[in-house]
This record gives sequence, structure tokens and C-alpha cells, in this order.
Amino acid sequence: MSASTAETAVPPAKAPKVETPFRRFVSEFCESKLALVGLIVFAIIVFIAVFAPFLSPQNPYDLAQLDIMDGRLEPGTRDGADTMTYWLGTDDQGRDMLSGIMYGLRISLMVGAGSAIIACAVGASLGLLAAYAGGRTDTVIMRLVDLQLSFPTILAALMILAFLGKGIFNVVIALVIVEWAYYARTVRGTALVERRREYIEAAQCLALPTRRVIFRHLLPNCLPPLIVVATMQIARAIALEATLSFLGLGVPITEPSLGLLISNGYEYMLSGKYWISFYPGIALLVTIVSINLVGDQMRDVLNPRLKK
Amino acid sequence: MMISMRAAAMAAVSAFALSSAVPASAQNLSMAVGAQVTSLDPHYHALSPNLAVATMIFDTLTAFDSESRMEPGLAESWRAVEPTVWEFKLRPGVKFHNGNAFTAEDVAFTIARVPQVVNSPSSYAIYTRAIERVEIVDPLTVRFHTRSPYPVLPNDLGQVAILDKETHEGASTEDFNSGKVAVGTGPFRYVNFRSGDRLELERNDAYWGDKPHWARVNYRILPNDASRTAALLAGDVDFIDQVPTSDLANLRRSDKVRVSEKDGLRIIFLALDHLHPEGSPQITDAEGKPLGKNPLHDLRVRRALSTAIDRPAIASRVMEGTSMPSGQFLPPTAFGAIPDLAAPKADPDAAKKLLAEAGYPNGFRITLSGPNDRYMNDARIVQAIGQMWTRIGVRTQVDAQPWTTFISRAGRQEFSAFLVGWGSSSGEASNPLRSLVAGYDRDKGFGTSNRGRYSNPEVDAKLEAALRELDDPKREALLRDATRLAMEDVAIIPIHIQKNLWAMRPTLQHDSRADELTRAQDVRPASSQPAAR
Repeated sequence: MSASTAETAVPPAKAPKVETPFRRFVSEFCESKLALVGLIVFAIIVFIAVFAPFLSPQNPYDLAQLDIMDGRLEPGTRDGADTMTYWLGTDDQGRDMLSGIMYGLRISLMVGAGSAIIACAVGASLGLLAAYAGGRTDTVIMRLVDLQLSFPTILAALMILAFLGKGIFNVVIALVIVEWAYYARTVRGTALVERRREYIEAAQCLALPTRRVIFRHLLPNCLPPLIVVATMQIARAIALEATLSFLGLGVPITEPSLGLLISNGYEYMLSGKYWISFYPGIALLVTIVSINLVGDQMRDVLNPRLKK
Repeated sequence: MMISMRAAAMAAVSAFALSSAVPASAQNLSMAVGAQVTSLDPHYHALSPNLAVATMIFDTLTAFDSESRMEPGLAESWRAVEPTVWEFKLRPGVKFHNGNAFTAEDVAFTIARVPQVVNSPSSYAIYTRAIERVEIVDPLTVRFHTRSPYPVLPNDLGQVAILDKETHEGASTEDFNSGKVAVGTGPFRYVNFRSGDRLELERNDAYWGDKPHWARVNYRILPNDASRTAALLAGDVDFIDQVPTSDLANLRRSDKVRVSEKDGLRIIFLALDHLHPEGSPQITDAEGKPLGKNPLHDLRVRRALSTAIDRPAIASRVMEGTSMPSGQFLPPTAFGAIPDLAAPKADPDAAKKLLAEAGYPNGFRITLSGPNDRYMNDARIVQAIGQMWTRIGVRTQVDAQPWTTFISRAGRQEFSAFLVGWGSSSGEASNPLRSLVAGYDRDKGFGTSNRGRYSNPEVDAKLEAALRELDDPKREALLRDATRLAMEDVAIIPIHIQKNLWAMRPTLQHDSRADELTRAQDVRPASSQPAAR
């Protein structure tokens, strides 16, 4: 981070020779303080999620550590055995909300990032193939994309999960199936432009294998829009996972994600036990907003049309 | 043109004023219930919500009061004239809603119709199966001949709505749902029925019994818990059933709402896999490897699992005081229940010791299944038991799923342990014994809901003896013996008996029922006394 701040001091226009695309990207990204805050918050969230087992006061997924007698305690209450404080209260099963949120973030990010990476790989490959091969291949793939995009996302995910059954792995599969089309369409659009460029022609003239032309020459030049879509889709995937869990189709009830934590507390909202839903909701909100801030700024920086 | 438009507008306004005035009227009652009414045909689907509706429009020969004690219905009295012959004296002067007189012919017709209802998902024929033939002695006397002595026939007939031979000859279930033949002798007459939405009724002014207070009843079906509570708080409805426990504390505190409750007859219990001797489908050893045998076949393991459960904790924390911990099928005061059999005390150390004695010092792994949309707080109870089992070394994975998937999988013996409930509508012990723990025998109608396939010839023998015994004290002793045998053998693990909850405007009062039925005739304005008969 310090390197990038140092870089902002140097106006990029005046030092074109030391400027690499990456450095230019970093310096332009840091122009927005809001995006920087988003990035820092997101980094903290990732840190919490990765090190949750060491940071959290309780393992909320180990049933033996929960005590039903500690259920629905207010934030700041000591536990029955007087060994820890529930800073954010407990849910109906006596699960520490703070620990639950930390582990919940883990699932949310894992599902979000995992599904985005797989969907990106699948979608980008198909998009590139469609653009490069053209003709019938292009038509088939793009009609599949149209078909996919014509279903409302939630409805499609609900149907897939109803068929596959519950579980984190199945949620990832469902998210990949509903999301790959966005990547495919984005990549195809860019690739259609890029494949008519001279460097592709040159590569083809060298009789390089098609796979090499696609992945070593075409793909790197289609990356910027792909990165932007991927960032946005991670946030979308996290929100979608939370929705599915809220509807009871996602993770198992003993291993709640943020969505399931919110759903568990939802029934207690009328009785004034706000904390069971409220804090996981805040955690979900902050995560999605931070990713979106980063994604927005990346879109502005990577969009050639917005270049100053 | 102008005039007609104005007239239309005025009509619309006055219609609106009328409809909005309805809840305020003292003669109308708007109720919202949580469970679907699947049909108005009283012989189609043996299900509590349907029975509730049936007992508003129709009558039965015997009836049950709010404590589930038998009382006269369309029959004034009954006695066993011989061990295999029951004689019922019918109530004179009763008329169906269409003016037809009620006679012994109608009783004979009803008994004949019950087994002939087509596509019944859960037939009422179990209640008439014992009857070999119906003998009409005179228009107000009827004799039921049974194949063998059958003392619980009056209880069983309390479930069977009496139809009119003249009106209902050849009537199909659809004819009832469309309202064409929704005609009975009950306290309310049919007005309108929209399946899944609402049933509208009006008072039967010629009713033979206590006339209900309400001239019109709007019986709405609102399955979502939060919407039902919200509808009551907003004043859209006057009365709701199945109050969610999470809202209970708030509703009790509110002076805009009155809560009524009653100890119910529905036991929530864990059924265990008594079938697979070579190893239960969802049990492995502590490392996740197959065990090669079913630990649930060992009585010590079953005792340990029962002893591990802290029932009072579930009652206070999960159910928020709306359940009674139980060690048997029915409340201790019920006929055939054991008065001094309390719920087992939680003792994790003793449970661990029992497991070690049985050869599982390190415990084992098990999946505990349950529904998440059927009983009060079902998924929460399953999780709480998961905690308690894990603490004695039985690492429990909890799997809560929607009722429809859950119950079909349970019926295929796919689970090792699962939570389920049973409402004993007749309020006596032969009902749960016969359905839940008697060895599975489809032809005899035994063990029809014995999904763990428990089988104990001693229990079966006591139960069969009880079902033939006409002498009440002797029969009760036999039922108690059978209950005790099943409970000592931990055939099932009883958890608690639910309380039934209703909530209403403070200006109403409710004669709350042990059998969960939500009926308009049990509601009346708070000050008024029940009408004298």
C-alpha cells in the first residue's frame, strides 16, 4: 500500500517511461478515497474470515460448545459458565453472534469467491470460444446465454437447489450455473473486437495452436472488463447465497452463514430481540458495499472511454 | 350516464363501507388459521384442520368436549348390549340444514360411505373398520355389530361426521368442495369456500345444541406465522390459532390481545431406527467408519440418548414455556397413561457411563433428522438435542427439511433418528400405542405410523388384550402395562407435549380445546355466558 501512495505523488503523465500498466492502475485506483476505504474494509473482512478459528471466542459450528440455556442473551451478557462475554448477544441456540458472524463471513466469502472464480473460468472460456470460433458454435453458446439470462436469478437458483438439495457445495454449483452467462457475454463482446486486431492475425500466421492463441493472446487483452464483472459478481454471489440461506435452501442449520443467521433472528424481530438479525445484517451490508466500492472504482479505472 | 356512474360510485363506496364495517360488527367473527383445510368432504382426509371444519358444519354421534372427554352428540346415549354389539339411541328432532330429518337410515348410510371415498389421502375407514354391519332397530335406535369385542367404538365414532342419506347418496368429494352438498346438522351452515383461502359460514338457527353467538364467520387460511400475528395486531382478523412462540411474550404483554392456551394431546418425540441390524444408514463410529451393527438395538444406548436430553431446558428456552416435558405418550391424567411416570431427568454423566457399558466409550456419529415447518419450533428442538447428544460423545449432525420430503423419507426408513409428533385425538392410550409402537401390520391397522419399526410382542399382546377388554378399569390397566413396557424399552424417546395456543381481541373469550381444533362455536364475546341448553 505504501508503494502505491508514493506513486500517486508522481503525476503519471510526466513520467511515462517508468509507468507500467499495473502502476498506472494502482495510482488511478487510489484517486478515489472512498474506494480506498472500501479496499481497506474488505481487506479487514478477508483477514477476519481467514483467521476466524483463531480470532473467534467460540466455535459456533461445534454443537458441544453451544448451550441452549444461553439462548437469546442480550449483547454484552456473560455466559452461564462465566468464561466469556457475548459482545453481540446470542441466537436462539445460544450461539455467540460475534463468532457466528466471523464464521458466517468465511462461508459468504468462500461461496462468493469460489462461485465467481469457477463461473468466471467457465463463462470466459465459453465466451472466448464463441467469439473466436464464430458461426454455429457462437450461435449455440450465445443462445444458451440468452436462455440463462431470461430466468430471474433467484428463481433459477431456487429450482437448481430444489433439485440438488441443500449444502454449501450445491449452493456453489447453483451460483455457477446462474452466473456463468454474465462472464460469457462480457468476454465475447470484448473478444469479438480483439480478434480482428493485428496481433491475433500475427499469431495465427505463426501457426500457433488455437488454444495458445485464445488463452495467451486473446484472453489477456479481454481481462479488464472481466475483472470488473468478476468483482461485481462476487458481491452478487454473496448476496444471493445469503438470500438462499435465508429461504432455508442454503447451508445446514448447524453451520449458519450470514443469511441463515439473519433468518434465525427474523422471527424474533417483533419481540424486540433485534441483535440476532441486526448484526449479521450489518456484516453482510458492509461486505457487499466494500466490494462494490472497489468494483466501481475498478470499472472507472479500467474503462478506456472514461480515460482523462 | 352521469347518474348511473354516480350510482355505481355510491354503490362502491357503500360496499366498501360495509366490508370495512364487518370486523367491528358484534355478530361477525373473522378467524385466521395456520393449517390448510384440504376438503369440505368430512370423510376425505383424516386431518385436524379438516376435522375442525367438519365439526362446524356437521355433527358426530359422540363428541368430545374441550378436555377431550366424550359427550353425547347426535347420539343421546350408547351402551354395549352384548360384547360385540353397541346400541346407540339417537337424538330426536334433529334436522339437516336443508330441512331433512336425521334418522337411523342416515347413520347406516354414513358408515357405508366412509370406506368408499375415492383417493382419500388418509381414510376415516380406520374408525369404521371394526363395524361388521349396522342394524336399524327403529328410526332412533341403531346397533353396530363388530367382529370382535371393540370397546373403543364410541371414541372412534366421534371422528365420523354423519351425512344425510337423501342428500349425499352418490355425492363426490368435489360436490362438497363446491358447496353443492355441504349440508350437515352442525351449528353453522355453508356459505362459500375457496380452497386454500377462506371458508364462509352462517349460523344454523335451527341447531339442536348450544347456538353459536356468531351470525357469520369468515374462516381464513393464513399459513405464514408472521402474517397471521400481523393480521391480528392490525385488526384484520379477530382470532388466530398456532401463535408463534417467538411472538408470545409480546402478545401476552399487549393489552390489545388476549392469549388462550390449553395443554394439548400432541406428543413430540424421537423415533429410532429399530430395523437395520447390520448397521443403521446414518450412524458411523467416532471416526466416520461403518460400525457393522446398529447401536440403537442396544437398550443401554437408547437409554443413554434419552437420559442425555435436558427436557426442561427445551421447554423453557426453545418452547418458551409452551410445552410440558414428558416421559410417555399422553399427559399423566389421560386414560391409559401412567400417573407417576415423569419425564426422565437429564444426566449426561450417567448417559456417558451407559454408552461405555454398551461398548461405545468414544461415542459414535449419528444424523438426527426432523421437519422444519410442521411442529412448533421443530428445527430448533432438533438442534438443541444435537447439542445435548454431542456433549455425551454422540457427535450429531442435524438435518432439518421441509415436511413433505421429510415424512416420505421417514416412511422409507432412511433415517436413524428423527423427530416427529403424534396427536392422540381420542385422548386415550390405545391410539398412540396402536399407531406408534405396535409391530407394523398393515392389515390389522397396527403400527401405521411406526416408522422406526419398533416391534415388541409383549407390548402387542397387552395392547390386543386391551382392545378386546370391555371393562374400563381392566382396559386402563392393560394400556398402562403396554405403555410401561414400551417406555422402559425406550421404543421412542418422548420429548414433550405441546400446548395449544390461540390469540384474539381482548373482547373475545375462547373455550380452548385439548385436541387443537379451532372452531367458531368455541369463541364468544368476553362478557357473555354460554347459552343454556
